[in-house]
Formats: sequence, C-alpha cells, structure tokens
Amino acid sequence: MSTDPLEMDEAVTTPTLAPLSAHSEFVLEIKNFSVDYGVSDNMVRAVNDVSLNLRRSKVLGIAGESGSGKSTLVYAMTRLLRSPGVISGGEVMLNVTSESDEKIEETIDLVTASEKELRKIRWSHVSIVLQSALSALNPVLRIGKEFDEVLKTHRKKMTKVERHNRAKELLKMVGLNEDRLDRFPHELSGGQRQRIMIAIALALDPELVIMDEPTTALDVVTQREIINELDVLRSRFGFAMIFITHDLSLLVELADEIVVMYAGEIVERAGASELYESPRHPYTLGLLNSFPPLHGARLELDGIPGSPPDLADLPTGCNFSPRCPFVMDRCRTEAPPLTRLGESDRAVACWLHAGDSPRQVPVELARRVPRSTPAVATLKGRS
Amino acid sequence: MNDALSPPVQLSARHLTRHFKTRVPGRLFDAKRVVHAVDDVSLNLVQGRVTAVVGESGSGKSVLARMLARIVAPTSGELMLEGTPIRIGAKRTLDYASKVQLVLQDPFASTNPVHRIRHSLERPLLIHGAAKGDVEELAKAALTRVSLDPPERFLDRYPHELSGGQLQRVSIARALCVQPDVLLADEPISMLDVSVRLGILNLLKGLCDDERLAILYITHDIASARYLADEIIVMYAGQVVERSRGTALVDEPTHPYTQLLISSVPDPSDPTSQATHRPERTTFEVAEVGCRFAPRCPAAMDVCRTTDPPNFQIRDGHVSKCWLYADRPEAVVEVALPERRREGESTKT
Repeated sequence: MSTDPLEMDEAVTTPTLAPLSAHSEFVLEIKNFSVDYGVSDNMVRAVNDVSLNLRRSKVLGIAGESGSGKSTLVYAMTRLLRSPGVISGGEVMLNVTSESDEKIEETIDLVTASEKELRKIRWSHVSIVLQSALSALNPVLRIGKEFDEVLKTHRKKMTKVERHNRAKELLKMVGLNEDRLDRFPHELSGGQRQRIMIAIALALDPELVIMDEPTTALDVVTQREIINELDVLRSRFGFAMIFITHDLSLLVELADEIVVMYAGEIVERAGASELYESPRHPYTLGLLNSFPPLHGARLELDGIPGSPPDLADLPTGCNFSPRCPFVMDRCRTEAPPLTRLGESDRAVACWLHAGDSPRQVPVELARRVPRSTPAVATLKGRS
Repeated sequence: MNDALSPPVQLSARHLTRHFKTRVPGRLFDAKRVVHAVDDVSLNLVQGRVTAVVGESGSGKSVLARMLARIVAPTSGELMLEGTPIRIGAKRTLDYASKVQLVLQDPFASTNPVHRIRHSLERPLLIHGAAKGDVEELAKAALTRVSLDPPERFLDRYPHELSGGQLQRVSIARALCVQPDVLLADEPISMLDVSVRLGILNLLKGLCDDERLAILYITHDIASARYLADEIIVMYAGQVVERSRGTALVDEPTHPYTQLLISSVPDPSDPTSQATHRPERTTFEVAEVGCRFAPRCPAAMDVCRTTDPPNFQIRDGHVSKCWLYADRPEAVVEVALPERRREGESTKT
C-alpha cells in the first residue's frame, strides 16, 4: 500500500471506482493512515495510524499544536503533500455523488487514485481553504480571474457571462460586494480575502470542504464574522467540513465531533460538548485549561508543563508521558492504543482508562456528562 | 491610597501621538493622507504592575510599544522615565535602552539564526558595559530567571534547536540581562503553541510580582489580558476607547467596541455568546469626523458622527470614550487613575 505518490500514477492501472448501492452515511472514511517525512534513517512519522470517519454535512474538528500532524494529515489525505512527505500506509475512502445525470454514488480511494481521477475530485468534490489567503491568491490576478479559472476548468459548458454571474453570486453569498471582483488581493483586508477563499472553495458545490486554520491570522471580531458566515453557508448547502485549528474553544463551538492530535496520533475523539465537559485525556484537559477564562475569579492556571514533542526524538511509551501530570510506570514503556470508552462513540488513548489501570482515574478526567442539564451548569459550578 | 505606599511610576507617557504620511492609493503625486496610528495615548507603567493594551491588528498597539521603546519617534507627546522628561526628538541613549527593554512577537525572527543562544545573551551585556569575564555568569543567571534550567544546556544551542516557547523565554532573558525596570512585551504569546502560552504568561506575572518589573503587555487576546493585567487599555484605530483598573473592563464592558471584542471571543462556557451576542456584519471603515468607531457601532447616535467623544468616568479607575455615557462626569485620564497622578506630580516636583 505504501507508495510514493509519484510512483503511483504509473502503478495504478485499474480505476478504483466502485458504485455503491446504498447512500453511504460517511463522506470520508480514513483507515490506519500514516504519513512519513523522509525515508529510512532520517524518517519522521508525522501521522501515525489515524482512523477517522466523517458523516455527511457534519463538522469534524481537528485540534492540535504545531507538529501534531494535523495539517500533514489533510494534505496527505487530499494527495497535496509534497516530497519528502510520503504516505506510508492506510486508505482514504471518499464517497461522492458523481457529476453525471443519474447521481451514482462512487467510492474513491484517494491514496491510490490516479492524477486523472484526483483532478476530477479536487475542487468539485473536495475543496480546501488555507490559512494564509494572501499566499493562496495570486497577487497579480484580479479576484474575478480566480473565480473564472476555477469555473472554466471544471465547468466547461459555462459561458463567460455565466461564469461572471456565478462569481458575483458567490461573492454575495459570503457577504461581499460584487465590485470586489475587479480588485487585486492586496487591496482587500485579511477578512475579505479569507471570505473570497471560502467563496472560491464553494464555487463548485463540493461535498467536503477542508479548512486549515482559516481564521488564525485574523483578529477575533473578523474570526467571529467568518465563523457565523460558515454556519449559515453550511446549513444552506449541507457540505461536510474538516476544520483544523489549535484553538480548542473555537472548535467546541463549531464542530460536531472533535479529534485531538498529539505527536501525529489521535489521543482523544469525542463529540464537541462531551469533550469540553468531560475530557478524558490529560492532554485534552491541559489544552482546555490553557485558555484563560473570560469570567469568574482570576485563578492561577498551569497550562501544560514542558515543550511540544520533537517528532524525531519521541519518548518510548506514550508520547505525552514526559508532560503528563498523571503519568504511571506503564506509560513510559508501552504506548496506549486508541480505545473506545464503554458503549459511547468516544475514544481515548490513555492507560488511565484501561480497565486494569493500577491508578484510579483522576477526578478531572472522570467528570460525567450531565444528560438533562445543559453544558453550562457544571461549568458555572466549577468556577 | 497613600502616596508613600503606592509604587513608583517607571515610565510615563503623556498624549503620545504618531502620524504616518502615506500616499492616497492610485494617485502618485501630491495627495497625501495622514494615518493616525496612535492618537493622544497616555499611560503609566508602574513598578510591579502589568498594564495590558488590547486591540485588533491596525489599532496602533505595536506602534505605541515602539514609541515607548523609542524605536519610533512620536510626532508629539511626552515621555518620562522615572520622572525625568525625555527629549522626544533626541536619539535613544544606552541608558534608556538599559532601563526599557522590548520583547517581540516572533522569537524565531528576533534571534539571529546563525548565532548560538550565548551570543544573543552576551552581546547586549557587552554593549551595556559588563566585564568580559562576567558575561557568561550573567547570561546563565538570566536563563535561570526565565526557568531555562540548567542554563548550560541552552547556551550553546542554536535558535532552531529550541521550541518556540523556549526561544521566547530566551528573548525575555535577553531583555532581562541588562537589568531593565520596564519590560515591553509586544504580543509575546501569539506565535506560540497553546500549551506553552500560559507558561510565558506566568513567567511575566512572576517577573512583575517577584522582581517588581513594570510590564506593558500588548495583545489581541482580551482573555489573556484579563488573566495577567492590573490595568487594561483597549485601543481602537489609534485611540484609547476604554480603560479600567483590574478586570472591570472585561467583566462589565461599557464601550460598544469592547463589548464587540468580548462577544467575539469563542467562549464555550457561555451559550449566550453563541446564540444572542453574535455581532452583525461590521464595516472596516474608520470615521474621519466624530467617533472613529461610529461606522461599526451598533449604538451610534447622531452626535457620534459629528463630534469625537471625550472620556467619561464610569467609576473610579474606569473610563470610557463613548457618548453613551454623557451623563457621567468627564474624565481626564490622569484624574481617572488618581493614585498614579499623585505619583506623577510627586516625581515632577
């Protein structure tokens, strides 16, 4: 399965299109996906054995710090990763509805797909919004030209006038005046540029939109506006979204499900409010406690001691063990697998929650999700 | 509030203003436009206190820090270091630099990548007249102060061998090694990983509490300002729109801009922040006449579009530059911060 993306174009001769009879629940299914940088001795595993499912029209949040592999994961998954990044294992199944009249559902393995297949999928089914809109937009092209090129490439039948009208329509959708089409990127503010990136990403009505830290470079007020805008657009068009950020509190608001990554691995997966109310992994707890609150008494917070991990020099056992306040002997020797917690759909990679743990689960990590009372009650009680 | 008990003002700025002249886009000749980057900002940096300046990009907060460090010369205004007036146009002296130090946002950009950490720390020491034999010990002491322990492990490393959080500690150590009284920190945590941010904030807090440094903390993150600061100043388009001692400004914001800023922060513990407080689309226009925030302000009145509001006193130590509070007494900034004004006067006399 492991191949250099460049080799693969020639290796794959049979297309992996398999029509599905039933409408699949998931738009994206990732299984045991791994990505390396470099080969042999200098190899660094940036994404290690990640499995994920994304339901249609849902928002999956990926939270993690720099070096956690969150961006590498989406770049590799969409086959945008450049050398020396290599996909070293796993599969990425994309379930899309084909463009033809009969609306057949197809499943495509993005890992083995050929360049030609990828070209069909990219942008029309999966689009991406990058962190820096200034570097994503061509500085010498007017905004209108960017829209025109996307539509010209993928919608060959559209006339020039139709393309122009569609571009105007898209701008209106994200709340911008149509005269922006004649502007150059440098004439627009950061928030406006990011809105334009979102409009371009939605130009072909994709089923999956990937957002790689779209608001990190913006100030909070603009971030809030863009998040609200995305909410409206998503309820209108029903695309699924992968939202990557280091800002866990933003994800709690935005996402349906959140995965927390640390050193290339998923350490916790849970529904957004569950994760916020009752984190199970010590790293998740630490991240949540790293944001000073806006209300309540001013308490001294500790954050997470130590430094983010160096992927080239990972500890044995659990990657988080050197920074973990609840570390046990077992953590230093054996890496905990990502295991489901009871019957729920959430999973955590931590020995504390293994049935045979010698240590009782610390209270901070054993909080229960209240069933009837809304999220706030417990928090207010805590502060 | 007793004069004798209140700590001394280290650095004091009065009516600090900086204008930049730019060309009007699209017109090459004549038509010049003046950008009011910082307009009439007064503040005191007090020993053992953290003063936070909060604002979005373009609000002038970094220009303010650079004027206080005397890297950018103010167009007008006064600076006073320990009660001694500083001549605005004069060149920055070594003495001033040893009292007031600046820490920048991106530690990877503010340390020289081809030199070891040792170089970054020893060079300022040598420039500021430390004896050659002492510099290594002083550099080690500075690293220990910022909790990089043991210092020997870090001295001979290159910047790329350290993580962002460690390197930011190094740049704080570099600022500390000349024994300044005032530390200006311009967005010191915004480029760092979430998990190490609190470590840096706690370090600054410790320097302020234990070593009695006067700290200016510049940020766009109002929650971190609330966590750290003894006084919070909110800037919009170069002007101070609201300021308060303690956390009053965050807990009970009065200026519509502060309210907008706070309601925009993702806050999962407060469902109303998601449901009701969502701000509507705002424009990015800055008004030339009247209140600069008026075009974006949901509460804008006629008077806001014609006349620039003065500062109104909400309560002791809490001032808001907004016509909504026209029934309150007008406040001069110095009056709003009574114990500090007294200190300012006592240093003058």
